[in-house]
Amino acid sequence: MRNFVIWVALAIALIVLPNLVSFSQQEVLVFLTINILVVASYRLLTLTGEWSLGHVVIMGVGAYASALVTKELGLWVPLGIIVGGLASALIALALSVPLFRMKGFYFLIGSFAAGEIIRLLWKRFRDPFGGAKGIKGIDPMPDFSIGIYQFDFFEPVSYFYFSAVVVALCLWILWRIEKSPVGLTFHAVHWQDKLAQASGVNLRRYRTMAFVIASGFAGIAGALLAHYIGTINPNSFDVEVMVFVLTWAIVGGTGTFYGPILGCVVLTILNEIVLRELGLEQTRPLIYGLILILSILFMPNGLESIVQKVTRRKDAK
Amino acid sequence: MTPLLEVQNLTMRFGGLTAVDRLNFKVEKGNIHGLIGPNGAGKTTTFNMVSGFYKPSQGRVLLNGQDISGLPMHEVANRGVVRTFQHSTLFGELSVLDNALIGTHMTFRPNLLKAILGLDSSARRDALDRARTSLEFFGLADVEHEMAGDLSHGHQRALGMAVAYASRPDLILLDEPFTGMNPEETRRMMGLMRRLCAEGTTILLVEHDMQAIMGLCDNITCMSFGKFLAEGSPAEIRNHPDVIEAYLGGARHVA
Amino acid sequence: MFELLAQTSLNAIYAASYISLVAVGLVLIFGVMGVINFAHGELFMAGSYVVVALYADRMVPFFVAVAAGLIFVGLLGLLMERALFRPLRDNPLGGLVASIGFLMVLQALAVLGFGVRMEHIPPVTQDVIRFADKISIPVARVYVIVTAFVMLSALWYFLKRTRFGWALRASAQDPEAAALQGISVTQTAMIAMFIGAGFAGMAGALTAPLISINPHMGHSVIITAFIVIIVGGVGSLEGAVLASVVYAFVHTFVTTFFDGVLADITGLALMLIVLIVKPTGLFGSADRA
Repeated sequence: MRNFVIWVALAIALIVLPNLVSFSQQEVLVFLTINILVVASYRLLTLTGEWSLGHVVIMGVGAYASALVTKELGLWVPLGIIVGGLASALIALALSVPLFRMKGFYFLIGSFAAGEIIRLLWKRFRDPFGGAKGIKGIDPMPDFSIGIYQFDFFEPVSYFYFSAVVVALCLWILWRIEKSPVGLTFHAVHWQDKLAQASGVNLRRYRTMAFVIASGFAGIAGALLAHYIGTINPNSFDVEVMVFVLTWAIVGGTGTFYGPILGCVVLTILNEIVLRELGLEQTRPLIYGLILILSILFMPNGLESIVQKVTRRKDAK
Repeated sequence: MTPLLEVQNLTMRFGGLTAVDRLNFKVEKGNIHGLIGPNGAGKTTTFNMVSGFYKPSQGRVLLNGQDISGLPMHEVANRGVVRTFQHSTLFGELSVLDNALIGTHMTFRPNLLKAILGLDSSARRDALDRARTSLEFFGLADVEHEMAGDLSHGHQRALGMAVAYASRPDLILLDEPFTGMNPEETRRMMGLMRRLCAEGTTILLVEHDMQAIMGLCDNITCMSFGKFLAEGSPAEIRNHPDVIEAYLGGARHVA
Repeated sequence: MFELLAQTSLNAIYAASYISLVAVGLVLIFGVMGVINFAHGELFMAGSYVVVALYADRMVPFFVAVAAGLIFVGLLGLLMERALFRPLRDNPLGGLVASIGFLMVLQALAVLGFGVRMEHIPPVTQDVIRFADKISIPVARVYVIVTAFVMLSALWYFLKRTRFGWALRASAQDPEAAALQGISVTQTAMIAMFIGAGFAGMAGALTAPLISINPHMGHSVIITAFIVIIVGGVGSLEGAVLASVVYAFVHTFVTTFFDGVLADITGLALMLIVLIVKPTGLFGSADRA
């Protein structure tokens, strides 16, 4: 019952929230929603202990796929978004063949290389990827009405509601996976792969599964982004964006489901509200870099460790 | 009758070094079988080949007459041969119950789609029951919510066996289960192994300390410098001149 | 055709010379400290900007500016060692992530200090050595080749023939045993970091008049360096030099006969293939497998 009240309150807060902020902040809310899905899906991959540097490019695969199937084939945008997710998952499945011959540091570099190859292919093949300029004029979400509310996707508020529902659904699935025996097996693969294997776990299969699922959701996030901003190019998914995702995950902490989301929300608020208000937006990379360094040095378990300390103290009382 | 496990001409070479040289032995169903030998005899290498951790350079491992040599470890496990590791190799960051649950992986295969849709609740319940039964069997029911890494040494060893037992294997491979145990813990561990065996699980254990397993094993294979040395009942092995020589020689070597 | 092949080979030798300076530094740092320095491309960039600041803006003689680049970036390396890698010695992934943070800081500082625009600096010399009608090499490139050769030889001598070098190699192979021998891990880490960073800075400084300089130039440098150290076998200095030559030739030839993007793709694909087929590298080093 108490949980139910909390969820309803959260839903109402999310419905009201965009109406209380400025237009540019509404746009930020949309990006934040999408980024939450990116970083939450990234965490699923890290559950098996592998850190990829290709996640943002995989997200871009979803963006390109959805943009192309809607633009070139005239597919309905919501279906296009699903196709985007599937495309990312499929590319991940193909990449898993070479990448999971490696582990740890080699996987990191391998995923980086694979991602760069994909980005270069976008650049090289003007048809259909549009070369370095990318794809412009991506179909927007078609407007529709659900009776009480008229979705007009020129308004960021509408897109915020739409993406919030999609992302909430995705997060719910990610949560279900993590709390299931499959999620437990991911943990097992991470912490003690030999014992997991001796217990009959096919390591390669579970690593691949985590990679494919995480990539599928990243693809959906990419597609959501593409249909919102309307134009994508290879630089929309470059290493700098990957560093942001990494920073969110590390600042938030990857020990819990909410850790990376917390990192993403806190840093976005810091960036959009504090830095923008102070007129320090130019220094964003500098500040992100410093935050990344300081948190790895002084807060290796992320913001979530602070939350855990606080809640534990409350429980003790 | 075919033995449960048979090792034929098993050989392992690392570069120029032959760690195990044309080893043969059989493990009969329902037995506790010991594989002993002085340090460096190649016991652990043999063990790793049987469990699929290493691929043998030559020779075969037969399970119920079927060749399982060179299969990856999880495939060997899926055929009913589950191993433990030296020291306390556990999922230290997970709870004791979760450790045991991972042991049930093979019986109750996680299914992604069913898990998302919530259609696997009966399988989850059965897995939980199975895990709890295993913990109870090894006297760990009281500590199921503790982190495995926080357990005492003896409890960690017991949990290692509980994880293996949770899959109800035909054959459990134990890698030096008594190392670092005090006499009381050793005595309790031996009791657990006898009970396991009474439940129908065959045990193959590797041990360096000959005295510890004399009272436990039905059959003992002794090896030295990678080669088969002797086989027989504990009494036969104890009095076997080659075994005595190997151990004394080894002792001299160590001294 | 012969002229084109010869000319392309000359271009490749030039590319190999500065790539190997960068890659050798990266390998040295990894070998001694076990951490992958993602900011290595930005150290190269910092070296270029030292030349911009001293040689282009303040008329300091070019080779003095290059030496300053080596020392300044070497000091940056010492800063990284002290502030990042030493506290994170037991956490290689943490060291890598911290170096990514440092990369962003350096990049942002370059943007703040010099702006995002490309810097073109006056040529050091316009002279060209002409071997034949269509085969020539600018003297400025010869400077890079010669300096790289001299510095790599000096490094080789230092590592193989001096006590410090011996200590460095010992601690790369087995830090604990080295510590027992009385070799200070901190000291060797500092030396490796100074040389490794300094070499990257020097490569950036030397090539500054020949390339377009901008705060984001480190990206392609680090990708190239990764390719080279993976192909050469992580941890092998000789492998890194050989792989630099291989990579430079492959990349230059594909660029000349096809196009630059395809050359980049070829390089990365080469690295992926090596990672899959022989993760210890083509010139695999047994000493750090």
